[in-house]
Amino acid sequence: MLTSAQWTAVWDGTLITLEITAFAIVVGCLLGVVLALGRLSKHRILRALSWFYIWFFRGTPLLLQLFMVYYAIPIIYLESTGSQLNIDPMVCAFITFSLNTTAYLAEIIRAGIESIPGGQMEAAKAIGMTYGQAMRKIIIPQTYKRLIAPVGNELVMLLKDTSLVSSIALSDLLRTTKTMANASGNWLYYLYAAAIYLFLTTLLQLGTDRLEIKLGAYEKR
Amino acid sequence: MSMVKVEDVHKQFGDLQVLKGINFEVNPKEVVCIIGPSGSGKSTMLRCINRLERITSGKIYVEDELTENRMNGKTVEKIDPQKLANLCLDIGMVFQNFNLFPHLTVLENVTIGPTVVKKENAKITEEHAMELLEKVGMADRKDEYPARLSGGQQQRVAIARALAMNPKVMLFDEPTSALDPELVGEVLQTMKELAQEGMTMIIVTHEIGFAREVADRVIFMDDGVICEEGRPQDILLNPKEDRTKEFLNKIL
Ligand SMILES: Nc1ncnc2c1ncn2[C@@H]1O[C@H](COP(=O)(O)OP(=O)(O)O)[C@@H](O)[C@H]1O
Ligand SMILES: [Mg+2]
Repeated sequence: MLTSAQWTAVWDGTLITLEITAFAIVVGCLLGVVLALGRLSKHRILRALSWFYIWFFRGTPLLLQLFMVYYAIPIIYLESTGSQLNIDPMVCAFITFSLNTTAYLAEIIRAGIESIPGGQMEAAKAIGMTYGQAMRKIIIPQTYKRLIAPVGNELVMLLKDTSLVSSIALSDLLRTTKTMANASGNWLYYLYAAAIYLFLTTLLQLGTDRLEIKLGAYEKR
Repeated sequence: MSMVKVEDVHKQFGDLQVLKGINFEVNPKEVVCIIGPSGSGKSTMLRCINRLERITSGKIYVEDELTENRMNGKTVEKIDPQKLANLCLDIGMVFQNFNLFPHLTVLENVTIGPTVVKKENAKITEEHAMELLEKVGMADRKDEYPARLSGGQQQRVAIARALAMNPKVMLFDEPTSALDPELVGEVLQTMKELAQEGMTMIIVTHEIGFAREVADRVIFMDDGVICEEGRPQDILLNPKEDRTKEFLNKIL
């Protein structure tokens, strides 16, 4: 059984895990929409830039991206300005996980937008809407229901992947339990981490399932 | 004055010539039915009028104002975007597959145009929308989602949605072709009432009986050209061109 000090540590670790996940999913959804629209844009430059971003962040390991932000940016900063940059590991985690999730969500959102029949955009234009109005009021709202399952999936992956931050000295849930296991030589501490991860991912799964039913109500005959 | 005028319009998709020099004019309050075999370019013609497609060359006027003047796929004369947007608002369109917005209720489908595009007062918009739904006989279903409606009901809501923008001319692209036969009548009835109220209408249809009854003029299109046009009784009962005769024989 955990002591109360250990419970506090586990709780703090869980909070770090949750904060990174929540921050990244919110930023990821917002930037993901922008990037998805970039991928679908008529302008070649916008299309190319969005493609490049997604290509880079999906094609390199997340851990590598984390190291690049944590170790490379201060070095580049030092070389170009001559002054030290003390970068907070939590900020690094926020940045890296947001940028990485954005790439995955952008592809999910793009697929969602492309799955809406072309007649919807035409009908919106026929009543005088601009492209932006049609996207905001007609097309994107129709993707919500279709996005819930894949975004929920991404959220679960993200929550688990945040455990990588233990490598940049952040005491998240996994690192906290690892410290306890190492100190006592008792691997059972890991079970606490497993239980909490499972509890959280199950909660997410149940939440997204319910949301999906709710958002799809208009499709019922 | 003419409501819509189309001058020597050509449209190509890649190497495929779909419209090969179309000329016609529609006067205010006139009802024009366009008939013709599938693939002859009827939908493309309508879509060019409200700029869902851009023409390759030719000119289009709405209410005597130029909206398109193009040559070899390039714009010859630039039109002020604000003016263009306003002219386009005068054109309403009804599609074969209704294209109602499935995530909005019947009432919201009708109010979203005025609300988003014209930023109209919500109360006035709703009152107007209810009048239109009354007119198409859908007022009692105002809170329903489109998925729960029959095709005929959906199409009547789509007509109300287009009318909510107060268009001066309505384009119909085979509005009854996707309907079960027993639902065709209710949509045609709604359109007939609209015609009687003096709406200018351009209707692509295979409903020959309806065209005879409602149209002031019938245009027969084949292979990207207007083959024959005239009064409904002339075109539909005594066509001069062999291609018109052949087409009418096939569908009657
Ligand atoms: N977006 C498009 N791209 C390529 N070809 C098209 C497109 N739209 C229509 N066409 C072609 O143009 C021709 C005319 O089509 P359409 O105007 O729909 O005819 P209709 O409505 O008379 O049946 C057809 O051969 C069709 O395949
Ligand atoms: Mg057609």
